[in-house]
Amino acid sequence: MEVGRVIVCALAVFVALFSERFVVLASFSQSMDSDFTFTLPAGRKECFFQTMKKDASLEIEYQVLDGAGLDVDFLISSPSGQVLFSDYHKSDGVHTVETVDGDYMFCFDNTFSTVSEKLIFFELILDNMEIEEEQDDWKEYVQGTDILDMKLEDIMDTINNVKARLGKSVHIQTVLRAFEARDRNIQESNFDRVNFWSITNMVVMMVISGIQVYLVRSLFEDKRKVRT
Amino acid sequence: MVSVRMRSCVLSVLLLNVFYNVVSSLYFHIGETEKKCFIEEIPDETMIIGNYRTQLYDKQREEYLPATQGLGMFVEVKDPDDKVILSRQYGSEGRFTFTSHTPGEHQICLHSNSSKFALFAGGLLRVHLDIQVGEHANNYAEIAAKDKLTELQLRVRQLVEQVDQIQKEQNYQRYREERFRQTSESTNQRVLWWSIVQTLILVAIGIWQMRHLKSFFEAKKLV
Repeated sequence: MEVGRVIVCALAVFVALFSERFVVLASFSQSMDSDFTFTLPAGRKECFFQTMKKDASLEIEYQVLDGAGLDVDFLISSPSGQVLFSDYHKSDGVHTVETVDGDYMFCFDNTFSTVSEKLIFFELILDNMEIEEEQDDWKEYVQGTDILDMKLEDIMDTINNVKARLGKSVHIQTVLRAFEARDRNIQESNFDRVNFWSITNMVVMMVISGIQVYLVRSLFEDKRKVRT
Repeated sequence: MVSVRMRSCVLSVLLLNVFYNVVSSLYFHIGETEKKCFIEEIPDETMIIGNYRTQLYDKQREEYLPATQGLGMFVEVKDPDDKVILSRQYGSEGRFTFTSHTPGEHQICLHSNSSKFALFAGGLLRVHLDIQVGEHANNYAEIAAKDKLTELQLRVRQLVEQVDQIQKEQNYQRYREERFRQTSESTNQRVLWWSIVQTLILVAIGIWQMRHLKSFFEAKKLV
């Protein structure tokens, strides 16, 4: 019994060492996501790559948060180079891909804009990235020998459930934050625009009235008398 | 006795899981003197851990190998007020940590410290990057070991941290929404204010023009 347990523990260590797709204990749910916000300079194209396994799914969601026109070209291509999705001048988009083994490339293209740089937010959600059996194997090691066996499992299930839902809340918060950032950027550029054009308008008005007066006066500056 | 052994077994599996985390992260290519920046908008008192790994393209074998020694990455982090809060050089594989003290957009910039242009051999440096924010940055294996938590306690602690982070984010969201509303209201006010002022100035200029020209013509004895 003791020996058995030691062997089981050694096995656990071995499996952890040699398996590639072990996910951190901290994430109970199977999906891993990462989000990034970056500045895409004018006239540039930036590409990112993600290594995927077979039969997993990749969901990418992107938004343009700032920059004149608030649009960007987007492209996803499979490991074999085939273009899977292509967006033209879109301000946000969502795409899901059922994956094969290899590196997926996705690119944001701002080459059509010569002066304005874009602020782009994108989020990658990976599902089914680890193998199912490993998760179950791990559970076996955890099941203790206490009498509270079954009760512990129920509590664990509830906790897993709660964690998954909280994970979704965090995800929704991230998306909302991106939307809000975009609206805020639009507002701030409105504010700047209103200030700038109002002052310009006033200055132009005053300059033009000065010029008008000057021109009319200069019509009468010469010594010729105007016929009445 | 038995439970202690089981716990240490679980913990060692935990530890190994944590170390094998960086496997399938996003990667991108970076040029010799190129600087890539990422923006993270975070509430205050939030910890961020960034892990990166670099690979250099080997022309002979035509593939990406783990990077050579001596090739490091320079990491620079700026806070929302454009003050540099982290500026350090790390090796070809590294991990950087910082905690935000003001809420807002923090900028994380990476560039390689290579000064020899030939080193990249015309190819590019491949950088794997993973940024963990808030409670994802916690090392639970360490916390479990330090506070001697059972597994149930560990999981509950994790839920608490997660809820904490959600709450912090919500507070920050409220502060941002307030700023947003202030900007909108100010814009709205300014549109009205500028229009009125412009109309008044237009009328005043018109009156001034007519009076000035009238006195001018009278002086010239034309009227």
